[in-house]
Amino acid sequence: MDVPAKPLLTIRGLEKSFGPLKVLKGIDLAVRRGEVVGLIGASGSGKSTLLRCINLLEAPSAGEIRLDGQRVGFREDGSRRLRDAEVSAQRRRMAMVFQQFNLWPHKTALENVVEAPVVMNRLGREAARALGLRMLEKVGMTAKADTYPSRLSGGQQQRVGIARALALEPDLLLFDEPTSALDPELVDEVLRVMKALASEGTTMIVVTHEMGFAHEVCDQVVLLADGEIVDQGSARHIFETTGNPRTRAFLERYRRSGQAQAAADAGGNVA
Amino acid sequence: MNGAYNWDFSVVWEYQDMLARAAVLTLGVAAGTIACGVVFGLLLAMLRLSRLRTLAAVVMMVIEVLRAVPPVVLVVWIYYCMPILTGWSLNAVQTSIMALALYSGAFYAEIFRAGIQSVSRGHLEAAYACGMTRFRTMTRITAPLAFQSVLPPFISQCVLVVKNTSLASFIAVPEIVYQGQRLSIQTFRPLEILTSIAVIFIALIIPLTLLANLAEARIRRKYYA
Repeated sequence: MDVPAKPLLTIRGLEKSFGPLKVLKGIDLAVRRGEVVGLIGASGSGKSTLLRCINLLEAPSAGEIRLDGQRVGFREDGSRRLRDAEVSAQRRRMAMVFQQFNLWPHKTALENVVEAPVVMNRLGREAARALGLRMLEKVGMTAKADTYPSRLSGGQQQRVGIARALALEPDLLLFDEPTSALDPELVDEVLRVMKALASEGTTMIVVTHEMGFAHEVCDQVVLLADGEIVDQGSARHIFETTGNPRTRAFLERYRRSGQAQAAADAGGNVA
Repeated sequence: MNGAYNWDFSVVWEYQDMLARAAVLTLGVAAGTIACGVVFGLLLAMLRLSRLRTLAAVVMMVIEVLRAVPPVVLVVWIYYCMPILTGWSLNAVQTSIMALALYSGAFYAEIFRAGIQSVSRGHLEAAYACGMTRFRTMTRITAPLAFQSVLPPFISQCVLVVKNTSLASFIAVPEIVYQGQRLSIQTFRPLEILTSIAVIFIALIIPLTLLANLAEARIRRKYYA
């Protein structure tokens, strides 16, 4: 029997409040190296907030996060927050891909990809270009290396966003609803890239509404509702064998809304 | 009625060297004011956006006071009052640059603040998530994007600075308006002289605005087409 690998990321008792509103109510989660974790749940369930707490875009209100055993955002004993430069160094180990891509409009695709390595790791011009092209090749965007984001489609922008995250050579990739802002016909090109990364053994946490992707690709799926984990396990557990009534209700609602959407799309096409 | 006045621009020709020297001094004062005003404005904008609320509030007050005081009063205060109060004195040109830089700095500060705040949260978060520090994010992402969005008001403020150099005439800086007034009295030809001064200002300012329009069009074409 395999000895279970030590988790790359451990989250314990994570809470997050915005004023009186408690969005995360004590999350515990472990992610092993090479694992793909899907965070699913209704809008407002706290999945994006959880992802944003992991790399400190939101400051957790309580609990702790450890990356490779190292406390994220705080000194080991939790007595003091880390300095800006220390937090930045930790963030480079867990790059993020955003729903709205967030490419910098004044930089070409290539410049977007290599900006952080150039600025923070003082990478030379030639080395940076080589790194950038290698990353763009991974997402099939080499031909658009010198194009500005405004001339790229949503799917292309997202692929550059993924290349930008990969260029940091992170231990962990965080995806915040990477296909939600895309037109339906552009979703597949991004999912293909993500599947390829998963098959290479990249550790990823993916907030997603793409149940097909979660079912097919994720090793672990976590269902959040009202700031709590209500069910978690293998994709097979969540999508096929779970006895949890909330999971079944969520997936049923999802299926129905998907059918309604498909019907509306079909109606739209006919019209 | 038009025929009652005989325009005679030969007087302008006669004093062309003097006017040219005055125009150069005007440009020098304007350039000095813009350089110091931009630095001062950047400083004010940064402090105004500080997370320390008291500091931000104090800086906001400073900006409001500087914007409210007539610039000519600043010129006269610094020239006559500062030596009395502090013992330090500046010559007339330095005084003009300092007073106009304080005044325009308050306006630059508000322009820069608006620009910094116009940069989308997502672009900043992308920089932080890529592990860029706050300082690097400011210099590499915020500053260029903010500058793109504030280029038109920034240039307008620079144009006002060029025109405000005429206030230096109150403390006898021999810039173009001061020299024009002297010549008007000396030659009894104020209409010709003032008209020429207007032409000189137009010649100084129009290239500036044309350049700005070109830059703006280029930015739009290059990054946002």
